[in-house]
Amino acid sequence: MGLRFDLLLFTAALLFSPALSDLVLSKVDRRVDLTTQVVRITSTLKAENTGGNSVSEVLVVFPDRQAKTLAYLSAVSNAGKGKAKVSSVTLPVKEVELKGMPPSLVGYSVSLPEPLGKGESFTLDVLAVYAHSLKPFPEKITQADIQLLVFEDSAYYLSPYEVKAQSLTVKLPQARIESYTKLENTKIHGSDIKYGPYENLPPFSYSPIVVHFESNRPFAVARQVVREIEISHWGNVQVTEHYNIVNGGSEIVGEFSRLDFQARPHIRGPSAFKNLVAKLPPRAHSVYYRDEIGNISTSHLWGDSKKTELEIEPRYPMFGGWRTAFTIGYGLPLRDFLFESEGKRFINISFGSPINEIVVDTLIVKVVLPEGSRDISVSAPFPVKESRETKFSHLDLVGRPVVVLEKSNVVPEHNQYFQVYYTFSSISMLMEPLMLISGFFFLFITCIVYMHADMSISKSSPSYLAKLQWEEVQAVIQQIDNIISRCLAVHDKLEASLRDLSRTGDVQACKAARKLGDSALKELTKELKPLLSFLQSSSQAGHVVSKVDELVTKERELQEKLMVKLSTVVDCYEKKLSGREIENRINAQQQKITALRQEVDDLLEFIDEL
Amino acid sequence: AVCCAVIAILIAVVASSPTKGWSGRSLSLLDPTYASKYIPIIASVSEHQPPTWPSYFMDINVLAFLVPAGIIACFLPLSDASSFVVLYIVTSVYFSGVMVRLMLVLAPAACIMSGIALSEAFDTLTGSIKFQLLGYSSVNSQAAAGDASPDSTSAQSNALKPDKSEETAKERTSKKSKKKEKEREKEKEQVDQSSVQPRAGRRLQVLPLEASIIGVFLLILLGAFYVVHCVWAAAEAYSAPSIVLTSQTQDGGLHVFDDFREAYAWLRHNTEVDDKVASWWDYGYQTTAMANRTVIVDNNTWNNTHIATVGTAMSSPEKAAWEIFNSLDVKYVLVVFG
Repeated sequence: MGLRFDLLLFTAALLFSPALSDLVLSKVDRRVDLTTQVVRITSTLKAENTGGNSVSEVLVVFPDRQAKTLAYLSAVSNAGKGKAKVSSVTLPVKEVELKGMPPSLVGYSVSLPEPLGKGESFTLDVLAVYAHSLKPFPEKITQADIQLLVFEDSAYYLSPYEVKAQSLTVKLPQARIESYTKLENTKIHGSDIKYGPYENLPPFSYSPIVVHFESNRPFAVARQVVREIEISHWGNVQVTEHYNIVNGGSEIVGEFSRLDFQARPHIRGPSAFKNLVAKLPPRAHSVYYRDEIGNISTSHLWGDSKKTELEIEPRYPMFGGWRTAFTIGYGLPLRDFLFESEGKRFINISFGSPINEIVVDTLIVKVVLPEGSRDISVSAPFPVKESRETKFSHLDLVGRPVVVLEKSNVVPEHNQYFQVYYTFSSISMLMEPLMLISGFFFLFITCIVYMHADMSISKSSPSYLAKLQWEEVQAVIQQIDNIISRCLAVHDKLEASLRDLSRTGDVQACKAARKLGDSALKELTKELKPLLSFLQSSSQAGHVVSKVDELVTKERELQEKLMVKLSTVVDCYEKKLSGREIENRINAQQQKITALRQEVDDLLEFIDEL
Repeated sequence: AVCCAVIAILIAVVASSPTKGWSGRSLSLLDPTYASKYIPIIASVSEHQPPTWPSYFMDINVLAFLVPAGIIACFLPLSDASSFVVLYIVTSVYFSGVMVRLMLVLAPAACIMSGIALSEAFDTLTGSIKFQLLGYSSVNSQAAAGDASPDSTSAQSNALKPDKSEETAKERTSKKSKKKEKEREKEKEQVDQSSVQPRAGRRLQVLPLEASIIGVFLLILLGAFYVVHCVWAAAEAYSAPSIVLTSQTQDGGLHVFDDFREAYAWLRHNTEVDDKVASWWDYGYQTTAMANRTVIVDNNTWNNTHIATVGTAMSSPEKAAWEIFNSLDVKYVLVVFG
C-alpha cells in the first residue's frame, strides 16, 4: 500500500512538477512527538520566494489516509533565531481544493501576514495533531503484556514545493523500540530516532517509514462527552460533564487477575490506567463525581489560585477495551466568565474537556442561557456545528435558549476559549423573584378572602337561623358555667372559714364569713335567673336544658346542706361541745355534701364539653 | 349457608396440603429440626438459626434482667391485662430462642415487661422518699386515703383532735414548730381535697431515705445507658449498609472498600445487555439494580429447586458446573472470596 502510493507520487511529481515552482522550502525540520496517544507533528518550514511574483500563501498537503485522522492544524509564524518569540502570530489556515495535483491529497492553505516579495524568505511552524493514528499492534494482549503501537509516516516531507534540506526526529515515550524502518542517515539517540538530513528532494517525494514501539501511556478515549454549561445571573456557572470512556489501546484477552494487578501494577497490567487528572478553572466549588450507581469516592481535589486539580479514579482500572461512564459537575463564579462589550453580554469559557490527554470522538457542548436572552451568536476559534434547543428548568415560563455546539475528533489542543454573545436586559432578572412574590401574595389574598366571605346562600334559611341560635345558647351556657363556678368558690370559702374556726376557735369571724357568703350567693342566684329563663325559651337548647336544670337544683341543694352544716358547727362551738359530738352531728350532712359536690363537678364537665 | 360452604372449602384446602397449611418456615418453629431434614435451604439462612446468648444482650440489653422482675410484678395482682402480657412474653421468648429473626417479636414484649418492672420500682422508691421526708401524719392520712370516702372524714377529725391537743400543749413553743404545724395543716387540706381518688388496698413498704434516693438515681442512670446502647446498636448493627465498608487511613482519611460496587459497575459497562449473571441469591437484587443484568436467582426466588440448581453448580467440580451453567445460559458467575 505504501509502495504503490510511493510510485504514484513519483509519477505525479514528474508530471506535475512545473506547477508552483515559485516557492521553495529551503529548510524543513520535522519533530514527531509520539509520547502520548495523540501524534503531534511540528514542522518548521523556511519558505523562500525564488520566482518573480509575490506569494501570499503557502500550501500544506496531507495524504488522504492521514487527513482522515487529522484533528487539529495550526500555523504560527516563527520569528527566527535570536529574536524573542513575542512576535509570533497565528496564521489563518483554510482547506482548499487542490487543482492540478495528484489525487488522494488534502490541502490546506496558510495565508502569510504580508506577501512575500522576490528573494524574501519566511519561517513558519505548522502543528498537526492526529487522533487515532497510532494503531495498537498486536491488537489483543493479555494482562501482563506491554502495549506496542505502530506509527506510519514518510521520511521525506510531502510538499508541493521543492525541499532543499530537511530532517525528521521521532520522539518515543520509552527507549524500547521494537522495530523501525532503516533508511540511509538513520540514527538513534536514546528514545529518539533521527532521519536525515536529506538534500534537494523534488516536490511530492515520499518515503514510507514504520515505527513499532512500546508505549504504556494511558489511552483514554471518550466516545462521547456532553458538556452542559448553565449560566445563572445570580452568580453561578454550573458545568456538568457526562463521559463515556473506553481504553483505546490493545484489547485485553484472557483473564484479569486482580491479585496480580494489585500486588505489582507496573509489571502485571502496564497497559491499564488507573486515574485521570482534570484541570478545572480556579475557584471551582461543589465538585461532584458520580455515576449511575452513586457517588464514587476515589477522587482527590486540590486547588490554588491558578487552577483546581481533580484526580479521579474510575471504579476499576481501565484495561484495553474496557468501558466506563461517569459524570463530573462543578460550579464556577460568574464574574470570571461573564463580560460585557458593546451592550451585549458574552460568556468566555473553554470548549474542550478539562481532563488531560483525552481524545473525544464526539464532543457536544450545550450552553444554557438564562430565560429572556436574545440575539444569540457564537464565535469559536475552529469550525463547530451549531444548533439550538430549549431547556425547561426552575421557574421557567417559556424555557431557556440552549446553544448546542458539536465537534468530532477533539484533542486537547482544542481546549481554547470560545464566546457566546447575547443581550439580556437587567430588568428581566427581577422576573423570577417577582413571580414568586406575586404567587405567594395571591395565595394569601385568596385565603383571606375565602375565610371572611359569607358563603351562605340565603340569610333566612332555617339551618342558618338554627346555627345562630345555637351560638347564642352556647354563650349563655358559658355564662351559667361561670356563675356556678363562682358559687362553688363561695362554698370553698365557707369551708375554709370552718377550718379556721376549728383552728382558732373564733366564732365571730366564722359568723361574719357566713354572712358574706350568704349575700354573695344571693346575688349569684339573681344573676342566674334571666339566663335560665332565656334557656327555657330558646328552641335549640332542648337537650341541654334538662342538664342545666339538674345542675342548678343540685347546686342549690348543696348550698342548703352546707348552710345547715355551718349552723350546726357554729352552734356546737358556742355550746363548747367536744369534737366527737360535732362530728357525729354533721356526719350525715357531710356525706351528702361530698356526694353532691361530686355530681356537680361531673355535670360541669359534661356541659364544658358541649 | 354460603358462609358454611366457604368455611368447608377452606377447611378442605387446608387439610389437603401435606403440612396442613403450615409453611416450611413456620413448621421449623414448632420443630426446629424440620428444616434441616426436609428443606435445607431454609436452614441455611443465617437469620433462621437459633440466637446465641450474647445476641440477647446485644438486642435487649438491660431489659434482659428487668423482664423477670416484670413478670413477678404482673403476678401481684394478676388481672386480665397482666396475664396477657405474661403469656406474650413467655411465647415470644420461646420463639425467639428458636429463630433469631424473631427477636423482633420479643422486643416489644420485653419493653412492656421491663416498663412494668421499672414503674413498680420507681413507685416504691419515690413513695419511700415521700414518706421519709414528710413525716408520720401524712402516713396516716395517706393510709386513710386508701380507704373508702366515708372513712376519710373520720380520719380527718382523728387528725384534728390530736392536733388540737398538740397545739394547746405547745402553744408557747417557737415559730418553727408553728410553721411545721401549719405545714401539716396544709398537707392535710391538700390530702382532703385530693382524697377523692382511693387506691384499692395498697400497703406502703418503706425503705431508708438514702437508699431510696440512690436507688432512684441509679435507675435513671440505667435508663440513660440503655438509651445510649440502643442508639449505638441501631446505628452500627441495623443501619450500616454492608455493601460499602470503610476504615481509617493513616493520615486520617477514609478508605472505602468498594469492591462490590466496582464489580457491579464493571458488569454494567463491559458486558452485553442480555448477558446473564449467576450468583448466590444474596446478591440478586443488588446485581439487578446496580449492574442492570439478569440474574438466575435473587432474594425473592420462591422456587427452592432453582436455588438448589445454582447451589449444585457452585459446589461441583468445574466440568459438571460448566454443564449446569451452560444449560442455564449463564455468561458470568459472581463469587465473593477473600
